[in-house]
Amino acid sequence: MSGLLDRRLLLVTGKGGVGKSTVAASLALRLAAAGLRTLLCEVNADRRLGRMLGHPEVGPDVADVEANLSMVDLQPDAAMREYVLSKIRLERVYRAVFENRMVRYFLRFVPALAETVMLGKVLWHLRQWPDAPGGFDRIVMDLPATGHALTLLGVPQSLVSALPSGPMSSEADWMLDLLTDPVITSAVLVSLPEELPVNETLELTDALRTRLRIRVGAVVLNQSVESRFGPADLSALAGRPGLSGLVQTYEEDARRTEEAVERLRAIDAPLLRLPRLVRPEIRREELVSLGDALAEGLR
Amino acid sequence: MSGPSLEEVLRRRRVLVCVGAGGVGKTTLAAAVAMRAAALGRSALVCTIDPARRLANALGLTWLGNAPTEVSTEVLAGAGIQLAAPLQAMMLDLKASWDDLIQRQAPPGQRDRILKNRFYQTLSTALAGSQEYIALERLGQLRDRSDAELIVLDTPPTAHALDFLDAPSRVLDFLDNEAARWLLDPALRASRLSLRLALWGGGVAAKTIGRIIGGDTLEELASFLGAVSGMNDRFRERARAVRALLASPETGFLLVAGATPERREEALRFHAVLGDRGLQRDGVVVNRVQEEPPASADAELEGLSEPLRGTLLRTLGEARALSERDRLGIRLLRDGTAPTPLIAIPRFPAEIHDLRALWRAGSYLLGEAAIL
Repeated sequence: MSGLLDRRLLLVTGKGGVGKSTVAASLALRLAAAGLRTLLCEVNADRRLGRMLGHPEVGPDVADVEANLSMVDLQPDAAMREYVLSKIRLERVYRAVFENRMVRYFLRFVPALAETVMLGKVLWHLRQWPDAPGGFDRIVMDLPATGHALTLLGVPQSLVSALPSGPMSSEADWMLDLLTDPVITSAVLVSLPEELPVNETLELTDALRTRLRIRVGAVVLNQSVESRFGPADLSALAGRPGLSGLVQTYEEDARRTEEAVERLRAIDAPLLRLPRLVRPEIRREELVSLGDALAEGLR
Repeated sequence: MSGPSLEEVLRRRRVLVCVGAGGVGKTTLAAAVAMRAAALGRSALVCTIDPARRLANALGLTWLGNAPTEVSTEVLAGAGIQLAAPLQAMMLDLKASWDDLIQRQAPPGQRDRILKNRFYQTLSTALAGSQEYIALERLGQLRDRSDAELIVLDTPPTAHALDFLDAPSRVLDFLDNEAARWLLDPALRASRLSLRLALWGGGVAAKTIGRIIGGDTLEELASFLGAVSGMNDRFRERARAVRALLASPETGFLLVAGATPERREEALRFHAVLGDRGLQRDGVVVNRVQEEPPASADAELEGLSEPLRGTLLRTLGEARALSERDRLGIRLLRDGTAPTPLIAIPRFPAEIHDLRALWRAGSYLLGEAAIL
């Protein structure tokens, strides 16, 4: 049986503000609850997921936060340090060269270096599966919004095609193998029932599949509204302007959801609707129930 | 009902920059702001990035060009809108703007070398801050050349407020990098032939870095920096001008926000950063606020039978909860951003893609309508 939750690396992305972090956190909680050792990563995101799940202390080092769940907030400097030390092994040389103010400054501008070391760290953990230290059964990445996510995920490919052979391009080879293996890796695209997010989901799908050769395993339509009222109901509400207005507004939202579903069907991947949440804050119980809905819908 | 108004701002400013996180409706509001300024008699130009196709169509931007186009008065009249001054709109093509900048600024002999260099490709498309930089660079140009009295700039979606405001400095750092010179100076001065030798003779630092990023990459970067070094003075001057423009009293910022918890935190951080830099915060616009269902709805439930009544009750409860959530969000935003004027715009039943809806959104910006 091979559903989405059997992929070892889930890449969650979409337009800004569509609820990527919510979906990533829900997936991770669900996988951990199923007894799978799960790593939830965010990318230089101000520890947003940590705050959402009640673990604000999680930083650039992988930390075990609860049963079967570890978290990390990837940061370029820390990932760089880890990477360099794995290559040159001499703390002394690292400090002398890479902690030099000028060098740090310079390295910020080497294209793709920050992305390579951050993505490399995640994929290193993926490679440690099943039993090596640092190995996890599942890794969920809460990626940045579309453009930045594509830059990040495209790094191994651009290194392989653009760079002469060298240390960075040899790293890129194995990274590319993992990212493009549909048995291992799958993208989960989050969208909203509005025109722009749907446009972006369609474009993102195309970029992932044709340009980066990354499998798109599921589309999650967040804040979906299901139709509740028919024409007969509206006629029954004649003379009740307040309720008629309420019903019209509601059904307009449902219509937008249908329109989005219609367009997203073109993607040819399982499409899952998550209901619109009405609470002022997203609490853990909502994440857990969203996780269950995701698992159910994406089996 | 009337509320706070941006009228004074629309009459006075030369430049309005709409900032905020992605997905809050910046582009649409930028268009509404420009339209209302034109209605007040100031010719206005809205400079958008990646608008929804339907919005582009509504504005008559069928040709997605990199230059201002006037929104036709017939199109406007068709929507029942009469403006007292011309309204122009344009799409900002970031890559084309970069190419254009290099075409204009690079010494003739270096142009192709720069445009084809892989580091230039990264700089113009992927380097953090480069999109923001070129948007600002273009703004500077428009400010100098456009005949519009008000320029409204929509900005790229930015994860961190600082990415946007620091863009001129960061890109300038890249092009005029003291550190790069320190590291690569021997290579920069060397001829192509001896570049590699010079580089590898360049000491332990270059050597160690080469082990990590590759000697060829280092060499290529050196070559790129060599090619652009002739442009540094011009870049510096432009970046200084852009920074000055942002801080100038003729420029104001509109922070577009959402009332939901995540959007709200980003907005508060952005607001604080603008303040720290001494930039003028003209308004916080909270977009897509869920309005309260009419109070009459409860009484209207009387006499309805199940299951309709139950479904209505549930729907009503959810609508109230959503509006309650947004009210709370607005209160927290207002507390955190006072005394910057805060304007709330309701979530419209349909997305704002036609001129009438833009006009309607504008009525909240001018305080002709209010929801609180």
